[in-house]
Amino acid sequence: MSGSPRHEETLRGLLRCGLPEAELFVKRGRTRRLAVSAAAETSVISQERAWAVRAGTRRSSFFMAGTGEPPEAGPWPQPEPGPLRLPEPLEAPPWNEPSDFDAPLVGEREGLTLLASLGRELAAELPGARLEQAALEDGSSEGELASSRGVRARFRHRIATLYLEAVGPGRPGAAAALYLAAREARRFHPSALARRLADRLAVQASGGPPEKGGGELLLAPPVGVALLAALLPLLVGPGAAARLAGLRDRRGRIGSELLTLVDNGRLAGGAFECPIDGEGVPTAEVVLVEKGTFRQPLLAWWQADGAAPGLPSGCSRRPGWRDLPLPGPTHLYLAPDPRAPVAALLGEVAHGYYLIDATGAGSFDLAGDRFALPVCGFAVDAGRASAPVARVVLCGSIGALLKGIVAVGRDLSFHPLAGMIGAPTMLVRGLELHGAG
Amino acid sequence: MPFSELDTAAVARTLSQLGEQPDDLIDAFFERREELELPPEGEGPGLRIRREEGFAVRLVRAGQTWLASRDGIEEKSFADALRQVARALPSLSYPEPLLRVGAPAPAGAGRELFEFPAAVGRAVRAHHAGFPLRLTVRRHRRWLQVVGPRLVAAAEKEAFYSCAVESAWGRYGVLLPALDGAAAEAVAAAVVDQFRARHAAPPAPFCGVLVLGPEAVAVLLHEAVGHTLEADVLAQGGRAEAAVGVALAASCLDVLDDPAAAPAPVRRTTDDEGLPVCRRWLLRAGVVEQPLADALWAATSPALVPGAGRRGTRHLPPAPRSSHLELLPGETAWSALLADAQGGLYVPAASRGALDAQSGELTLHFPCARRIRRAVLGEPVGACVLRGRVGELLARATAVGTEPRPAGAGWCAKGGQKLPVWATAPALRLEGVALSS
Repeated sequence: MSGSPRHEETLRGLLRCGLPEAELFVKRGRTRRLAVSAAAETSVISQERAWAVRAGTRRSSFFMAGTGEPPEAGPWPQPEPGPLRLPEPLEAPPWNEPSDFDAPLVGEREGLTLLASLGRELAAELPGARLEQAALEDGSSEGELASSRGVRARFRHRIATLYLEAVGPGRPGAAAALYLAAREARRFHPSALARRLADRLAVQASGGPPEKGGGELLLAPPVGVALLAALLPLLVGPGAAARLAGLRDRRGRIGSELLTLVDNGRLAGGAFECPIDGEGVPTAEVVLVEKGTFRQPLLAWWQADGAAPGLPSGCSRRPGWRDLPLPGPTHLYLAPDPRAPVAALLGEVAHGYYLIDATGAGSFDLAGDRFALPVCGFAVDAGRASAPVARVVLCGSIGALLKGIVAVGRDLSFHPLAGMIGAPTMLVRGLELHGAG
Repeated sequence: MPFSELDTAAVARTLSQLGEQPDDLIDAFFERREELELPPEGEGPGLRIRREEGFAVRLVRAGQTWLASRDGIEEKSFADALRQVARALPSLSYPEPLLRVGAPAPAGAGRELFEFPAAVGRAVRAHHAGFPLRLTVRRHRRWLQVVGPRLVAAAEKEAFYSCAVESAWGRYGVLLPALDGAAAEAVAAAVVDQFRARHAAPPAPFCGVLVLGPEAVAVLLHEAVGHTLEADVLAQGGRAEAAVGVALAASCLDVLDDPAAAPAPVRRTTDDEGLPVCRRWLLRAGVVEQPLADALWAATSPALVPGAGRRGTRHLPPAPRSSHLELLPGETAWSALLADAQGGLYVPAASRGALDAQSGELTLHFPCARRIRRAVLGEPVGACVLRGRVGELLARATAVGTEPRPAGAGWCAKGGQKLPVWATAPALRLEGVALSS
């Protein structure tokens, strides 16, 4: 593949300036944003057109980014001390571009109708509840990457996000928020989302701390995702193995047999599905933890120098043209069990809690092996919800969390945090619930 | 100034074609931004430059907002944005006013960025301390021009610096109007405080006296007064103007928002909607006098005065936000503030703060503190958190210091719009507040 003549000229210009390592990233995008609040309705249509250059030597370098077309002949800044290394070109395995990349952005009327129906469905699920704020964004982008090392790549992305803030009946009403991402805005289902918000509002309004806080804990995907996202420092980068060392048992395991963690930049249907990463390196599926055994950390090409175990994968994320590529997960998830419906997991709980959502930011002391996460849900007796539970904190040791997974469901779902983080419902033993504050 | 050659009259004439109703609010917002970043020593790329320019056209009619934004400033895309905002058919074309803007300055780093890390190192050593630091320093510049169909505001310019320091025992970030010796000393003093408290245990939870230094007061004011009195936040609880006359805080608190009194490099005469700013009394003797409002909210009630519309990016519509908060000085000297705080804590700075708009719950995190013993600052203690409802916390203010000091409150990211916020404040004493670790 060859780059556009203009971009090739920009690269040649950088080489003529004595910068043997040079990379040009060009991106064009368009976004429709629809927002509704109690007082206003907003419709925004944005178009982005920008570029970024990394250039230099192994001793000095610069990064420069701007709007419009990249300049063919500079002027470029003087490189400053700080090394720059760029990847060699690698052949990406075959990949078929998903057909929904070509779907048009959500229309203004269509998007506002979706938000309005969310509000109606919420009021129907929980009379007196209302959407305080709702914002739907639907965007698509395409770009090119070219480097003096010979990387030539084109990419496309398609992503929609939905942010909802709801208030329950009463004064002051309970509050709940959701932030979701999917490839297309049309994949958001108002009735399911309204039910989820209504559940959370109802639990928050009527629930209280439990009398006893142990037993089996069924963690719904939003809770599992919040926990997994906080554990990323244990999974990303060459220092991950050392950070995990304290969690290994005598057999070298860090978790239960059901703990399998995977990152996959080309996950079919994933919001960030792409055959290459932000540096043009082919993406791939990487198993980080397999049946409780740590296999390797998530490593970018420049981090795999033999000092850390494992092979590199295309995991350099580039959220926007202003950003430098940084290693991180794309779609990182706890592998689900396709034969385990959530109802069956719930049925296994003799006495415990079904925690449906995280209600705030947790505190995670990875070195001290402790965490605390505010949550809400239901008390469960004999497989049935018996009472709402709110203003509680899920806490315990990180080792107990990873080793205490006794079952996983099939309902894998992803949430946009640091990349897309996914988890199915998990049944866990060995953690505790305490009243908050 | 990049917009000195912009034909604002032609832009205004073109915008006037969008108006159909007398209350239509129409404007065009042009901006140019530049960020120079010097990363920590040895980290590549050694210099990072981000430059962007673009515009947004906005139409507000009967509570609905339409906004079209573009990267780059070009006639054709401007006419296209007008058509999108007017929701006219693609076949309808709008005139293309000449949009000539000045060329950006040559790409290069200000020398002050390169000299600052060494100046901080010297200032740290002057405190008889020495430890490794990773210091990132940035220069931020922004130029903007707002044009309406009838009025054209003066072009505005902002320039300031931000500094982030990472060490083994924490992170410290600050906004600075200049990179001078005083700035280096302020950064050094803060990181030395953190260094000296690195082994200190967090304080046991207690309810007592807390003396906040000006930087901590700045964050408190921003979260508890600024955010609380934004018209869109007030409207979540009912009518925004209903807050006027409510006693929100102790009578010793007089708080203003005055963008025209901000440090010279970020001083403003108009807001991001091109409307004149005012010296706005948010609290007079603890009573709410004038909430923060932009043009959209001011149109809903005569009690709300515009002039506080801010936008973090052209791609989002403006919203009411504070710019430069001032706590007027009281009559209590520093020694007297400490004299009546036996057994309490002194917190020089807050690392972050958050307000839950629904519940009114405020959280301020302090990276370290000092015990107050016999009216002097005693031994350091570790990180602690102040939590409480805004009204209850502000009612606990018992004394205000006599010496106000400029204190950059930091970055605010409410609603996804990242904005610098500034403050001038003296020290403040709160009594009977609960602190936890």
